[in-house]
Amino acid sequence: MVRVEDLTVAYGGIEAVRGVSLEVGEGELVTLIGNNGAGKTSTLMAISGVAPIRSGRIVIGGEETTKLPPHAIVARGVAHCPEGRLVFGRLTVQENLRLGAYQRKDSAGVRQDLDRVYALFPRLLERRAQLAGTLSGGEQQMLAIGRALMSRPRLLMLDEPSLGLAPLIVQRIFSVIRQLHEEGVTILLVEQNAHLALTIADRAYVLETGEVRLAGPAKQLIDNPEVRRAYLSQ
Amino acid sequence: MFTPTYVAQQIINGVNLGSMYALIAIGLTMVYGLLRLINFAHGDLLMLGAYLGLLLVSAAFTPLILTLFIPMLAIGFVGILVERLAYRPLRGAPEVTMLITSLAVSSIIENSMVMTVTAQPRAFNLPAGVNQLHTVAGVSFSTLDALTVGLSVALMAALTLYVRNTRTGIAMRAAAENLRAARLMGIDINRVVMVAFFLGSMLAAAAGWLWAAKYSTVEPFMGFLPGLKAFVAAVIGGIGVIPGAVLGGYLLGFAEIFFVGFLPPAYSGYRDAFVFALLLLILLIRPNGILGASTEERA
Repeated sequence: MVRVEDLTVAYGGIEAVRGVSLEVGEGELVTLIGNNGAGKTSTLMAISGVAPIRSGRIVIGGEETTKLPPHAIVARGVAHCPEGRLVFGRLTVQENLRLGAYQRKDSAGVRQDLDRVYALFPRLLERRAQLAGTLSGGEQQMLAIGRALMSRPRLLMLDEPSLGLAPLIVQRIFSVIRQLHEEGVTILLVEQNAHLALTIADRAYVLETGEVRLAGPAKQLIDNPEVRRAYLSQ
Repeated sequence: MFTPTYVAQQIINGVNLGSMYALIAIGLTMVYGLLRLINFAHGDLLMLGAYLGLLLVSAAFTPLILTLFIPMLAIGFVGILVERLAYRPLRGAPEVTMLITSLAVSSIIENSMVMTVTAQPRAFNLPAGVNQLHTVAGVSFSTLDALTVGLSVALMAALTLYVRNTRTGIAMRAAAENLRAARLMGIDINRVVMVAFFLGSMLAAAAGWLWAAKYSTVEPFMGFLPGLKAFVAAVIGGIGVIPGAVLGGYLLGFAEIFFVGFLPPAYSGYRDAFVFALLLLILLIRPNGILGASTEERA
């Protein structure tokens, strides 16, 4: 579904990502784990076309997208739920969700997906006319995920969906991620809660200072002594 | 002195001036919201609109309504052109660079006008009927005053409906709030920016026509002061937020008229000093403007 080849992302002189290669297959749930500053977010931003790519290639669904603008990448079926949620606080919940479907022309399908998101997150239905800025952190995260789903993506990228949320809400959000995975949505998940991520993912990449340090099936990595020591604090 | 009639008269004058500031401020705030660009050339588009209006008004056969609508449409496209040629190549550049570029654009437009039509002010005379005075309960206003307020309110209502309900309008509000998140939604920012320049320049041209009609004159530098004051209005209301620009515009209009109307005549020469002192006070209390986002929201 998406293939990243030897990607380098640099902000000015600082390389945030150095020669990263990774792949997410159709229907897979792949996670990127690593500490702050490891280059996880920059990798996602590069796939979405909003990070400065110095070298390397990104191929989505067999087509090279390295130099395409973000709206063209969305048109190719990528939805990106960014770190820090970035919901539009001055817009209502429903307007936020409709923006997720900005490029879609099938209004019947959009309405259907709106109902689906509301079924997934009933809280959003209750608050659909409210300004998104008035929602709690957990609700904003639900909105951000719902908004990403509104494009009916072929690839869903989630950046730190558990960040700063109460355990109960994290559970709720991860059960939704698992459900989406079971429905066959291809997911690339960035998560600093490595344990949680490795539990639900098929495969994982461990990033360290901009480079891929380890890669493999999530079940193997969860038992890897190095991973346990560095990321699972055991 | 402070009879109800007198107060009513001042209110009418304030609404009148405020309407024009609001029209101008909307374009400034839309562009700032999207690009963080303080567009000093905005007032010059107002001036170009006024000149084009003058050209059409002088051609006696043009229906009055077209002398307004043709410049609006034409200046809308000029706005798109300015963005395309001067501002788009700088996308992502520091704010200071964009600011200086807009000063340059302003200077180029003004001086091109001086070179082609000279700096000589020209009379902008509308058919006599437009300046006819009406007196209702002791309060007097001209047909032009009524037109100014009516037209401004209608244009602002239309813009509000557009920004609230259309797909592009909602995208514009989203992009003003968070450009990066808007791009991740698949919004083509260049398109949204183009629409913002078109609409904003259109409103500036309308304001230019009304301004020229009110003061019966046009000259190449006429856009500078209204542009600057409208920028202040946009800041007071909360820059980047359209209702803020409208509110700020009316507030500034009222403040100017009221300071002149109610202060002893000896002070009225210091009108702008009083007005700006008041505005500073507002900014001390609400640093992001009356309807502006708090800094946390901006992040």
